Amino acid sequence: MALVKELKAEKEDVWIPSVCNICYSNCTIRARRVDGVLVKIEGHPEAANAGGGGRICAKGQSGIMLLYDPNRVNYPLKRTNPEKGIGIDPGWQRISWDEALDTLAAKLKEARQKDPRSITLTFSAVDTLSFGFTAAWWMALNYFSNWWVSGAGPHCGNGEHAMAAILHGAIHTQVDYDHCNYLLMFGCGAGAGMYYNATASMRWIADAKVRGMKVVVLDPLLSTPAERADEWIPIKPGTDGYVALSMINLLVNEYNLYDAEHLKTHTNAPYLIKKNGKYMRDRETSKPLVWDAGEGKAKTYDDPTIKDFALTGTYGVDGETCCPGFQALKDHVKKYTPEGAASISGVPAGTIRRITKEFGEAARIGSSIEIEGHKLPHRPVGVLYFKGAQAHKHTLWTAMALSLLPEIVGAADTPGSLLGSNPRCLGYPETGLPRWEPIEGPDGLLIAGSWIGPPPSALSEVKVPENISLQEISPLSVLGTGQPFTLLDPAKYGLKYTPEVLLMTGCNVIMTHTEIPKVAEAIKRFPFVASLSLHLDEVTEFADLILPEASYLERYDLPQPPTLAGYHNSAILKEWLTSLRQPIVEPLYERKPRHEIIFHLLDKLDLWQDFAATYNMVAQLREPYLLDPNKRYTWTEILDLTLKSHFGEDHNLEWFKKNGVIKWKKKPEESYWKHFMKLRVPIYFEWFVDLRERTEEVLRQLTYGEELDFSDLQPLPDWGPCASHEEKRPGFDLYAFYYRVPTHTFSSTYNNAWLDDLGQIDPTVYNLVMNEDYGKKKGLKEGDWVWIESMYGGRTKGKLHLTQGVHPECLAIANCGGHWSKYLPIASQPEKGSCFEWLMKLDPKCVDWTVQNWDLCVKVKVDKA
Amino acid sequence: MRLGMAIDLKRCAGCYACVAACKAENGTPPGIFLRRVMKEEAGTFPRVRRVPYPIQCMHCQDPACKAVCPTGATTQRADGIVLVDDEKCVGCRYCIMACPYGVRFYHAKIREYYPGQGLTVYEELMYKLHPTGVTEKCTFCVHRVEKGLEPACVANCPTKAMTFGDLDDPESEVSRIVRDRRGMQLRAELGTDPSVFYLSP
Repeated sequence: MALVKELKAEKEDVWIPSVCNICYSNCTIRARRVDGVLVKIEGHPEAANAGGGGRICAKGQSGIMLLYDPNRVNYPLKRTNPEKGIGIDPGWQRISWDEALDTLAAKLKEARQKDPRSITLTFSAVDTLSFGFTAAWWMALNYFSNWWVSGAGPHCGNGEHAMAAILHGAIHTQVDYDHCNYLLMFGCGAGAGMYYNATASMRWIADAKVRGMKVVVLDPLLSTPAERADEWIPIKPGTDGYVALSMINLLVNEYNLYDAEHLKTHTNAPYLIKKNGKYMRDRETSKPLVWDAGEGKAKTYDDPTIKDFALTGTYGVDGETCCPGFQALKDHVKKYTPEGAASISGVPAGTIRRITKEFGEAARIGSSIEIEGHKLPHRPVGVLYFKGAQAHKHTLWTAMALSLLPEIVGAADTPGSLLGSNPRCLGYPETGLPRWEPIEGPDGLLIAGSWIGPPPSALSEVKVPENISLQEISPLSVLGTGQPFTLLDPAKYGLKYTPEVLLMTGCNVIMTHTEIPKVAEAIKRFPFVASLSLHLDEVTEFADLILPEASYLERYDLPQPPTLAGYHNSAILKEWLTSLRQPIVEPLYERKPRHEIIFHLLDKLDLWQDFAATYNMVAQLREPYLLDPNKRYTWTEILDLTLKSHFGEDHNLEWFKKNGVIKWKKKPEESYWKHFMKLRVPIYFEWFVDLRERTEEVLRQLTYGEELDFSDLQPLPDWGPCASHEEKRPGFDLYAFYYRVPTHTFSSTYNNAWLDDLGQIDPTVYNLVMNEDYGKKKGLKEGDWVWIESMYGGRTKGKLHLTQGVHPECLAIANCGGHWSKYLPIASQPEKGSCFEWLMKLDPKCVDWTVQNWDLCVKVKVDKA
Repeated sequence: MRLGMAIDLKRCAGCYACVAACKAENGTPPGIFLRRVMKEEAGTFPRVRRVPYPIQCMHCQDPACKAVCPTGATTQRADGIVLVDDEKCVGCRYCIMACPYGVRFYHAKIREYYPGQGLTVYEELMYKLHPTGVTEKCTFCVHRVEKGLEPACVANCPTKAMTFGDLDDPESEVSRIVRDRRGMQLRAELGTDPSVFYLSP
C-alpha cells in the first residue's frame, strides 16, 4: 500500500446511467461497475436542471447496500407454518420458480373466476415503476378495482394532492425557487433531502437563499428543514390551519394585501354566492353570475362586456341577496383573529402579524417580470405544506386554508410563486408526446389533465363503495384508506364478494397504515397472500408465498409515469427530462424483475390482450409503435416501443441505454400555464356544497354511513380540533407526532447498513425527541428508555433524545422505525426507532373521510421503562 | 500550492449526502466516517438554532498529527494534503490523540456491515484499500484530485455548499469566497492553520 489508494479494475470499469428508486423522487443517477460489482452511485451530470440536479442524496448513494444486503430474499419461498401472526415464524421453505408461479397463477385464476375484485393488489408510492405497466397489469388482473397503496392515508398527502389538483391542475406543488423571495413551510421536508424532487430541491433552495430568499418554517420540531431556515416558529400539532386562516383574515380584512387583478381574472372570487352557499346562476344559461361594478349589473362570468368584476359588497339579483365569493371569504375568516390563533397554536399573535405582513409585502402585488419575452405577474412568495400540517382530523380544512394563503396574493402558477408540478406538458418537440394539460370544467373552473385517478372536480362522482378501500365515496381522495375496516367486517361494509388473494408488491402495509394488530388481522382475512419482496419484512410474516424481486439496480424501467407529471420533473422553468432505469448488474441469485414475474402470470392466465390494450392507452403509444394485443413482448421490447413512440425512431432503447437521459427545454407556457390558458380556479369551493349533498345521499344508503363524517365538505375552511386536543386525562400531556428525516424513506430503508450507520450520527433519527425542560421536570435523561402509552391504549417503546429544539408539549417520532422482523437483523435492533402506528386506533373517527386522511397526532403518556 | 476547501453553511442542508459520498467513494468500514456532519444546538426554546457543519481532516498547514507521529507515517505533500503511509504507520494512535478535530480513525480489524453475515462483494473489494492496525483519515480524495476531479464530498454536495481549490492562488474561487465571506477556521486559536474554512450561515 502506498499513500494514494484507489480501486483498480482487473477487467471492467464502466459507468451506467440509470434512475434511483430509494424514494419516490426518481433522481437520475449513474453507477460505476468494476469487475461486475456495483461500487458507486452518483447523480447523473446531465440531469443538472431536473431529475436529481446531477447530485444524489445519502439514501440514493446507499443503494449499494440494498443490492448486496445479505438479508435480501433470493429464492421463491412457501410457508410451512399454517399459523399467522405478528412475530410468528412462517417456516419458510425454498421452492422452485415453476412451483411458485404455478401456485400463484392457480390462486389468481380461481379468484378471478369467483370475482376479479376478490384480488387485492398493493404497492407503495416509493415503488415507482412505469405507471403504464402498473395500470395495465392491474387492469388485466382485477379491472383496477381493489388496491391498497401502502401509506396512503397515514403517510401520503391526500389533502395537499386534492388542493394541488383543484387549484393547480397537478398532483402536488413546488415553489418557483428561481424567482421566489419568501417561503413559508408548514410541516414539510422540502430542501432537506425529502419531499418531491428530494435532491434537486436542496440546491434550488440553497441558491435561492444565497440570492436572498427568506425561509420561515412553522413546525413543532426543529426539523432538518427548520435548521436551515431563517426562522423556526414552533407550533402545536394540528393548528396550522388556524394560523393560516388568521393570516388570510389579516391579509384581506386588515392589511388589504390581496391580488385583486388575479382574483378577478384567474379565480371564481367574483362569482356571486347566494345565502344557501351556491352560485347565483343566469336563468337562461345556468352560468354563474358576477357583478359588473362598471355597469352596476349582474352578468355571466364569461361575458366579454364586463368592465370591472366586483370582489366585495352585497347585491340584489333576481330578488335575492348575494355577494362575490371573495366577500364571502372575507366575512368567513373574520372570526380567525391572530389572538385566537395564538391561544390555539402557541404562535404569538405578534409573530403571526409580522410574518403575514412580510409575506403579503414580499408578494409585490402588481409587479411583473419579463421571462423569455413574456411579461408576467411576479409574485415571489410560496407556501409549502405536507404531512406535518395535514395529518390531522381536519385535513381538508387545513389544506384549503394553507392553499388559499398564496392564492389570494396571486402567488399561484406565476413566476416566483407556488407552482403545480406539473399540470401542463406540451411534449417532446419532435413528437409532441407525452402531452397533457388542464381542461375547462363546469363553470369555467379547471380540471387537471393528468392525475393518478380521475381528478377531483365538480364532475366527480360519488358512488356506493364496492372496493375495500372505500375510495369511491371520497372522490377528493387520490388513494383510499379504508381497507382494514372493510376486511375486518365485510358484511357491515356490504362487500359483494369475498376477498381471496392479496398480491403485494414493494410495500409494508403493516407498519405504515394504522393500529398494527388490527391491520395484521385484516391481512389475515385473505385466504391467500403472496408477496413480491426484496426483504422478509413484517408484512411478509403474513404471506403464504414469497417471490424474490429484483431491486431497482437489477432491472429495466421507465420510472416516470408517461402521462403523469413525474415526481422527478421540476415544476420550475428548467428542463423536462426522461431517463431510463437499467440494470447495473444482472439480477443476483434467483431474483426476477417484477415485469418478468407479471408477464409469466399474464401468460398463465391468458390476459396478455387486456394488458396490451391498457398499456397502449395509458402510455400514450402511437402508430406504428402500438402493442399488438395478439403478440407477446418482453419488457425491453415494450420499453423500446414506448421510447420510440415518445421521442422518435432514433431514441430507442439502445440510445437510452447508452445516454440515459433525454431532456428538452421547458416553456413558460408550461410552468406558467395560467397566463396562457383561460381557466379559473376556486377560492370559494362552491361545488363542495353539492358534493356533500350527493355524498350524504349515498351515505344514507349505507349501514355504516353514520360513521363517516363528511361535514367538513363546505365551500370555505374552518378550523376544528383533533381528538388529541380534547384529551385531558391526567398524564396524557404530550402530543406525539411523526416526522421525516433525510436518511430514511418511510419503513423501507431501515436494514440498509450504510443508512443505519449514518442514522446513528444524528440523535433525531432513531430516538424519541423530547423537550429538554419537560424531560428534566419528569426526571428523564438523554438515552433513557421509555414506554409511550397512547390515548387510544396502544404502547411502544423508545429511547429519548432531549433537546431545546422541540415544542415542550410534543414528542416527535421519526419515520417508520421499530421493525421487528428477525429477517431484518439491523432494522430490528431495539434501538432503531419506534413505529408510530402502534399508537394509532383503527376507528373511523380518526379519519378525515373527505380526503381519506388519518390523524397522526396522538396524546401520549411517557414513563421510564 | 495549498489545496483547501470552503464550506458554506448558508447552503449546507445538513442532509448527510457528503457523509455518504465519502463512504461510497472510499468504501470505509463500519463506524469509520472520514467526513461527518455535526449539529450544534444553541439557545433555549423557543429561541433555539441548530447549525449543521461538516467536519473532516482539516489538512492543517502545521498539522499536530504529523508532529507527534513517531514513524514519519503522517506526511504532508507540497500541495498541503496530509496523508498517512500505512506501511510506516504502527498504529500507536498518538495522532488520534493529537488531532484537535477528532477526525482520525483507527482501523483495528475488518468488520462486516452486516454483522455475522460475511463481507458483501462490495466490501471484499473495497476493504482492500483499508489495511488494519493503522490510522485513517480524509485524503481530500487525493486519487481524484490527481485526476483533476474534486473530492467526492464536494462533487456530490446537493446544495453545492463546498468550494475546493488552491488557497495560495488569490484568483482561485476558493480564495475569493474565503476572502469575501470572511471564512473562519475551526479552533484557529490552536495555531494548526487548517485548510478548511467555514462561511457563516
